[in-house]
Amino acid sequence: MEDLLKPDYGVMILTVCNFLLLVYLLKKFAWKGIIGALEKREQQVADDKKQAQEARESAEQLKRELDEKLAQITEEAAKKMAEAVRVGEAQRDQILAAAKEQSERLTQQAKAQIEAEKNQVLAEVRGEIARTAVLAAERVIRQQISDASAQEAVDRVLEEVKAK
Amino acid sequence: MDVAEIISHHILDHDWGVVLGGMRMPVTTHSVTIAAVSIILFLGLWWISRRHESRAGRLLTTLAEEYVTFIRDGMVLPNMGAEGRSFLPYFCTLFLFILSVNLAGMIPQMKTATSNISVTAALALCSGGLILFSGLKFHGPIGFLKGFVPSGTPAWLVPLIFPLEVVSLVIKVCVLAIRLFANMLSGHMVLICLLLIIFIVGNMHIAAGAGSLIPAMGLEIFMTCLELLVAFLQAYVFTLLTAIFAGSVIHTH
Repeated sequence: MEDLLKPDYGVMILTVCNFLLLVYLLKKFAWKGIIGALEKREQQVADDKKQAQEARESAEQLKRELDEKLAQITEEAAKKMAEAVRVGEAQRDQILAAAKEQSERLTQQAKAQIEAEKNQVLAEVRGEIARTAVLAAERVIRQQISDASAQEAVDRVLEEVKAK
Repeated sequence: MDVAEIISHHILDHDWGVVLGGMRMPVTTHSVTIAAVSIILFLGLWWISRRHESRAGRLLTTLAEEYVTFIRDGMVLPNMGAEGRSFLPYFCTLFLFILSVNLAGMIPQMKTATSNISVTAALALCSGGLILFSGLKFHGPIGFLKGFVPSGTPAWLVPLIFPLEVVSLVIKVCVLAIRLFANMLSGHMVLICLLLIIFIVGNMHIAAGAGSLIPAMGLEIFMTCLELLVAFLQAYVFTLLTAIFAGSVIHTH
């Protein structure tokens, strides 16, 4: 049992050589490839993550710019709308004023026309009355046979005039 | 053959008696086991590193990459920092080598070479060499020696502290060898002792021997499971402590 703690220097040297050779061979033929591939993939993941972060920041920047533009456009639209309303109101007032003026003018024209026509009609009526009176006088003269008949003739003429 | 001889025969290394040019060659059961494990490890990892497109190839490549990540992020980088990256192949090999040699003893007709003090001492020497090399690489000879004295130590204490720190590092490296050796040896001793219970009791009476069969085998299975755990644990502890000691000379006080 005392051999348990007795070192075998030959085995020790052989183990050191064996292990160091294994480290060298594995480093050259195995770990290099495995670690290289692992680090390459990790680098790729890191790059992808960075790119995604940059794309996100870019998208956020674009969104901020678009929001600003939208706000600007909304403001301009509101201004233009207000301007359009103001112009529309001015035009409405103008149109209303013109229409009012025109209607007054037409009313005046119509009144003047009516007055002229009325005067014309009255003149015609007067002429008719005069003609009728002449006609009545003529008939009175023709029927001077009696006052009663004359009176009757005058009444009849007057009735005709009224009827017209 | 008494019990002590049986245990010795089971545990001790056996020289194959190879002599070359009148000089004894260290061809023993343990050294052959180590050589066999090294060849299998090299061929296996070389095959994996060639990145086969088969399902098994992809699976093994993924496993190998996960293993490297475990060693790198779990041991090397936390203890040695970015400077430890260049030593990553050493630590990857160290853990896998110790684990494989530990587990080789579970295979019939093979021996646990790490239950040999010469083997664990050789591994500790390699780790000691790595610690020394990393200290010299990052600090130079003077800086490495200065690192043994904590900053702020009074000048009159330096002659006392310096040898203490040097001896402390040497002891740490020696303890690496003794810890691995003792753990693997004790496990195997317990396993053979449990098996011997059956024969010792059987020698007294054949019926008693048969009766002790089931409890002894139950304990044997339990101890085998424990040995599997210890095999992983000791490989982890050896690798981790090497990384911690190397880190302590890279990042001095």
